[in-house]
Amino acid sequence: MEQQIQLDQALENIQKLVDNIETVIRGKRTQIQFILTALLAKGHILMEDNPGTGKTVMAKTLAQSISAKADHTGVNFKRIQFTPDLLPMDLIGSHIFDDIKKEFIFKKGPLFCNVLLADEINRASPKVQSALLECMAESQITMGDITYKLENLFFTIATQNPIEMEGTYPLPAAQLDRFFIKIIFGYVDEETELDIYKDYLGIESNLQHIQQVLSMDEILFLQGETEKVFIHEEIIKAVRNIVWGTRRHADIVLGASTRSGITFLKCLKAFALVNGRSFVTEDDLKLITSAVLDHRLIYRNKEAKQKAIAGILDAELARLSKLNIGN
Amino acid sequence: MAIGKIHSWKKVTAQVILLGIPTIVLACYLLWDANRLYNILQNDWIKQGAYFAAGIVASLVFYSYRFRFIATTVLLLGIYYGAYKILGNFNVGEFDAFFASVQFLLFAVLFSAGWLTGYGFSRSRYYTVFWSVFLLAIQIIVVSKTSDFKAGDIIGAFAPVLAYAFYIIFTAELIRNMNEDETHFGWFIAKRMLGFGIVVLVLMLAILNIFQDDFKAIEKEWGNAQANYDKGKGNSESMTKNNKDGSVSNKDQTKLTSSLNKGKRLVFVAKLDNFFPNTETPNPLYFTAYYYTKFDTLTQTFEIDTLMPDNDLFRPDPSKIPLLFAKKDSGVIKNSHGPLEHKVVTAEVYKVLLSADEFIAPSTAFFCQPIPVANEYKDQYKSAYRAKMWVSNLNSAYFIYNPAGNQQLEQFQEQRFEELRTVKDFSEVDKKFRDYYTFMPSNADYDSLRILAKQITANAKTPVDKMIAIRDYFLSKDEFDQPLFKYSDNPGVPGIPSASKLNYFLFETRKGYCAYYAGATLFMLRSLGIPSRLAAGFLTIDRSSKNPGWYWFYEDQAHAWVQIFFPGYGWIDFDTTVPDVNTQQAPQPDETPPLNMQDAYFVADGTVTEIDTISKRLKLDVNRILFHDKDYETTTAQNIQLDVSLATVSRDTGTVRLGEVKKGMHITAASYAEALKNITANDNDSLLSIFNKLVKPVPVDQIKIIDPESAAQQKKKEAEAQQNPTDWIRVLWITLSIIAGLTVLAFLMPWFIWQYFNTSARNAKDTKQKAFNSYRASMYYLNQIGYSRTNFGPNEYARMIDGNFKTTFSSFSNVYQKLKYSSLPLSERENETVQTFYRPFISNVNKQVPLKTRVSRFLNIYNTISYFAQSKNK
Repeated sequence: MEQQIQLDQALENIQKLVDNIETVIRGKRTQIQFILTALLAKGHILMEDNPGTGKTVMAKTLAQSISAKADHTGVNFKRIQFTPDLLPMDLIGSHIFDDIKKEFIFKKGPLFCNVLLADEINRASPKVQSALLECMAESQITMGDITYKLENLFFTIATQNPIEMEGTYPLPAAQLDRFFIKIIFGYVDEETELDIYKDYLGIESNLQHIQQVLSMDEILFLQGETEKVFIHEEIIKAVRNIVWGTRRHADIVLGASTRSGITFLKCLKAFALVNGRSFVTEDDLKLITSAVLDHRLIYRNKEAKQKAIAGILDAELARLSKLNIGN
Repeated sequence: MAIGKIHSWKKVTAQVILLGIPTIVLACYLLWDANRLYNILQNDWIKQGAYFAAGIVASLVFYSYRFRFIATTVLLLGIYYGAYKILGNFNVGEFDAFFASVQFLLFAVLFSAGWLTGYGFSRSRYYTVFWSVFLLAIQIIVVSKTSDFKAGDIIGAFAPVLAYAFYIIFTAELIRNMNEDETHFGWFIAKRMLGFGIVVLVLMLAILNIFQDDFKAIEKEWGNAQANYDKGKGNSESMTKNNKDGSVSNKDQTKLTSSLNKGKRLVFVAKLDNFFPNTETPNPLYFTAYYYTKFDTLTQTFEIDTLMPDNDLFRPDPSKIPLLFAKKDSGVIKNSHGPLEHKVVTAEVYKVLLSADEFIAPSTAFFCQPIPVANEYKDQYKSAYRAKMWVSNLNSAYFIYNPAGNQQLEQFQEQRFEELRTVKDFSEVDKKFRDYYTFMPSNADYDSLRILAKQITANAKTPVDKMIAIRDYFLSKDEFDQPLFKYSDNPGVPGIPSASKLNYFLFETRKGYCAYYAGATLFMLRSLGIPSRLAAGFLTIDRSSKNPGWYWFYEDQAHAWVQIFFPGYGWIDFDTTVPDVNTQQAPQPDETPPLNMQDAYFVADGTVTEIDTISKRLKLDVNRILFHDKDYETTTAQNIQLDVSLATVSRDTGTVRLGEVKKGMHITAASYAEALKNITANDNDSLLSIFNKLVKPVPVDQIKIIDPESAAQQKKKEAEAQQNPTDWIRVLWITLSIIAGLTVLAFLMPWFIWQYFNTSARNAKDTKQKAFNSYRASMYYLNQIGYSRTNFGPNEYARMIDGNFKTTFSSFSNVYQKLKYSSLPLSERENETVQTFYRPFISNVNKQVPLKTRVSRFLNIYNTISYFAQSKNK
C-alpha cells in the first residue's frame, strides 16, 4: 500500500523551486526536472556540455534558490572551480597549527557544505577527482584517525566539458557510477535563444536578485516524501529486465551493476514526484532510463551508444504497455 | 548518396534465413512443378533453383546497404547485356550457341526474379503482398494449362503457395519490426512463429472440416494413386478394383491411362447354358457388369450414366437376397428393346474373389437368385447365384476371336451378319435414345477420328458391315505385312497432357489395351450415327472341352467392349480388341467345376428368436418361405422350430461355425430333407397351413446369415459416392474460392479485431476492465488509422494524439496509468473519466478522419501485424 504522501505540499514546493529557477534558466524544463530528481533521490548530478551552455548558471541558480542568505534556514552553498593544479586538501581541508592552543586543528575545506558546485570536474587531476567522489559516496571524510561526517544534505552538481576537449582528465567508469544522473545540457531552441538575447540584461540581474524559496527542512521533507513514492511490481520487474538487458547486450561491454539498479529505482521515485505523481509509470521509465544508465555503461562502439539502451527500453515498454491492469 | 548500412547483420541474417530460404524452397518446388509441364526448361530445376537462390541472397545482402534501386537495376541490365554479347563471341557451333543463349536467358530471368524479390524483402513493405498474388496467379495459369486434373495437382499447386503467402507476409512484417536489441531474439521469433503456426493449423483444420466431403474425394483419389504406386507402376489403371476385404469388383469407370495392371487370380467360375442353335457347341457370352455411356473428355474417362435412357442394367445385390429367393426386374427386358430372336438363358456364377455383392451376367440379365454352394466346395467358392438373361440368338463372344477353320462358327457369323444386315438405318429409333447413344464431343480432336471412320467404312452399306470394317481395320496389316495395331498394357501417354489419348492411340502408337480399342470403336461408330455404348465386365474364353458351358474367369479377363443397338434385335456385343500375341494361352488350367446342389424343398427366411447350440435347435420368426419352389409370404411373422444339427452355416465370407448365429440375426434356412419331399402343397395353402403340414422340428441343411452391416453395404456407399465422380473443375473452383475467401479474411482481419476490441470496450462495466479495454481499443484504433505509438511513452503519445484531434486522451491515459501502477483508489472524477472517455473519443476521431482514409487504412494488415509485433526501434 502506498504511504500517504503530502503530495500537494510537495508539489507546491517543487513548483516554487522550478518557477524560481526558470526566471533565470529558460527552455530547460527537462534538465531542471533531472536536477531536482537527483536532489530528491539524495544523489548527485553530472552535467556535460560545451562551455557556455549555462551549466554553471544553472547550478548557481539552484544553489541560491535553496541556500541561506541572512537566516540559517537555508542551505550552505560552496563552489569549487576545478583546475589541474588543485590538490585534495583544497577540497577536504587541512590540519593547521593553532599557535594559541599549541595543537593542530582541522580547518574544514569547501566540501563541508550542503550544495557543492564542482565546476569542470574533469579538468582536475585524478587524485582530486577521486577524493571528491569518495566523499560523495561515503558522505564522510576521514583525516588520519578522525572521521568527519558531512552534512545531512549533501548535493553535488558537477559539470564537465566533453571528454574530447583539450586539457581534461576523463572520469573512470567506476567513479561516474557515483553520479545518479548525467545529463547533456544542450543548446536551447532557436526561439528561446532569441528571447534570451533580447533581455540578457534582465537575466543577469535576475541571477543577482534570486531569492531563496525553500528552506533546508523543506528540502529534507521532499527527500523524505520521495521515499514514499509507490513503485508497482511490474515497474520493478522492468528495471530488473533493463539492467539484465544491458549485461546481456552484445554491444555493451560493461553492463549496469546492482547498485545502478537501486539508484535507478530511487531516481524513478524522485522523477515521479517531480512530475507530480505519487506512483511511477511507463513515462518515467521512458524518460529517465537513458539519463540514469548511459554513463555507467561501456559500449563497443559509437553506433551502439545511440541504439542499445533505446532498444532494451523499447522492448520493456512494449511489454508493459500490453499488460492488463493487474491488481 | 552515402553508402552505409541500413540493416544490421542480425536483420540480414534473419531475412536470409526466415524469408530467403522458404522462398528459395518454394521457388524450387514451383520450378520442379513447371519442369514437368514445359519441355523447354530441360528438367533442370536444381540449377534453376540455384540461379534464383543466388539472386535473392545477393540482393538481400546488397540492398542492406544504402543502394538505390533504379541505378543498380540499370547496372544489372548492363551486366546482363555485356555477358550476353560475350557469350555470342564464343561461337562454338550454332546449336551450342543457341543452347547457351537459352540457358543464359533462363539464368537472367530467374536471377532477376530472385534479385527483385530480395530487394522487395529488404526495402519494400508491401512487396510480399504483390509477390504472393503473383505466385498465386502463376499457379492458376499453370493449373489451368493442364486438363488432367487431379486432387494432387490442385492441392500440390495451391497449398504450398497459399501457406507460403501467409507465412511470408507475416514474417516479413515481423522482421521489419524486429528490435535488434531484443535480448532473447531467438525466443522472440520462435514464440511468434509458434503462434503463427497454430493459427495456420487452426485455419487449415477449419477448412478441412468445412470441405470435408470434397477432401474425402480427394483423399480417395490419393489413396488410389498410392495403391497403384505401390504396385510399382505410376500412372496405371486396373480394370478391376481391389476391395478392402480382399475381394475384387469391376470398376464403374475406366480411364485411359498409360498402363494397365492385370492380376492373374481366379475371380469367378460360371456355367452358361447358351449353345449355338440346335447344337451342343457352347456359345460363350461376355459377362457384363456395367455400361459406360458417357465419356469425360477432360479426364478421358468412360463413366456410368445413371440417367441413360431406357436403363436396361439390372444391378441386384446378391448378398442381400435371401438364399434361393429370387429378385427379378422385368423392366430391363422391356428396356432392352429386343423382341426378335431372343430367348431366356440361365447362368450360374460361383464367386472366388468376386465381391459378394457383385452381380455379373451376360446382357440382358433380369433375374438373380443366390444359390447354396455344396459343402465340399465351400472353401473354394464363397457364394454363388443363378442369373437369367434375355439373350439374343445373334449375340456371341466370337467376333474378333474367330477360331480359324471352325465351319460351324463361320456359318453362325455369316448367318447373324445376314440377319443384322436387315437393319439399314436407325430412323425408327426414338430420337432421344438415338441422340444419346450417338453423342460425341464436338472437339477438333474428334474430327480426325470422324474422317478415319468415314475412310474405313467407305464401302460398307449397313451398320453391321461398318462394324466389321472397323474390326478389319484393327486387324489389318501394314506395308511390311506386320499387324497395324498391337495389344499393349503399356501404351504410354502423349507428351502433352491434354492431348486426346484416343488420337494418340489411333494415329501414333497404335497399341493399347481394351479400353483404347473399345473407346476408339465407340467414337467411330457414333461418328457414323450408329447408337452404341461401352460395356465393361469379363471376357469369356471357352477353354474347356471337358465341361462344355463352364467358363473360368481370371483377373486379366476384365474387359471392355462395344455394344451396338439394332432396332428389333437389341444390344449386340462386338469386341474389337486385337488379341494379345504374348498371352494367347490361359495362365492356369481350368479345374473341375463345382457340383450343383439339389433343389431345396423348403426355404425359410426370417429372424432368429432363440438358439440353443447344445441341443442344436433354433427358433425362427418367418415372413417368407419357399416350399417346393413356390413362394409364400405373410405379413405377421410365424415362429417355427428348426433342427440345425446337420446344418452348415455360411456367410458372405465363407463357412462359419453354428456359434456365430445369434439371436436377432437375419438368416435364410434351407432344407433338402427327404422327409419333406412327399409333403405337397396346393394352391390354397398359406404359409401357416404349410407350417402345420411340416414335421417339427424341421430339419435344416443350410443356413445363410445375411449380414446387415456387411462390407457389401459399405462398398455400396462407396459405389454411390463414385457414381458422381469427383468433378475436378468444381474442386478447382472450391480451391480458388477458398483462396479468395482466405484473402478477404486476411484483409478483414484488422476489422474483426477492431470489432472485438471495440465491443469489449463499450460493454465493460467494471472500472478497471473498462479502462483497460478502452485503452486497448483506442490504441489499436489509432495504430490502425496510422498513428502508431512507435517508441513514445504513453503520456507523450497521448499528448500527441490530443494535439492532432483535440481530444482528452492524455487525461484518460493518466488515469489509466494511475489505475495500472498506483495502489491508490481512483477519485470520483477519475472514475467518471474512465466511464465517459471512450465513446466520444472514438466518434471524435472518426469525424476528423475521412471515411475513405479509414477504410483504406483498415485494410492494411501490416499495421495490425506491427501492432501485435513489437514497437519499432527508431
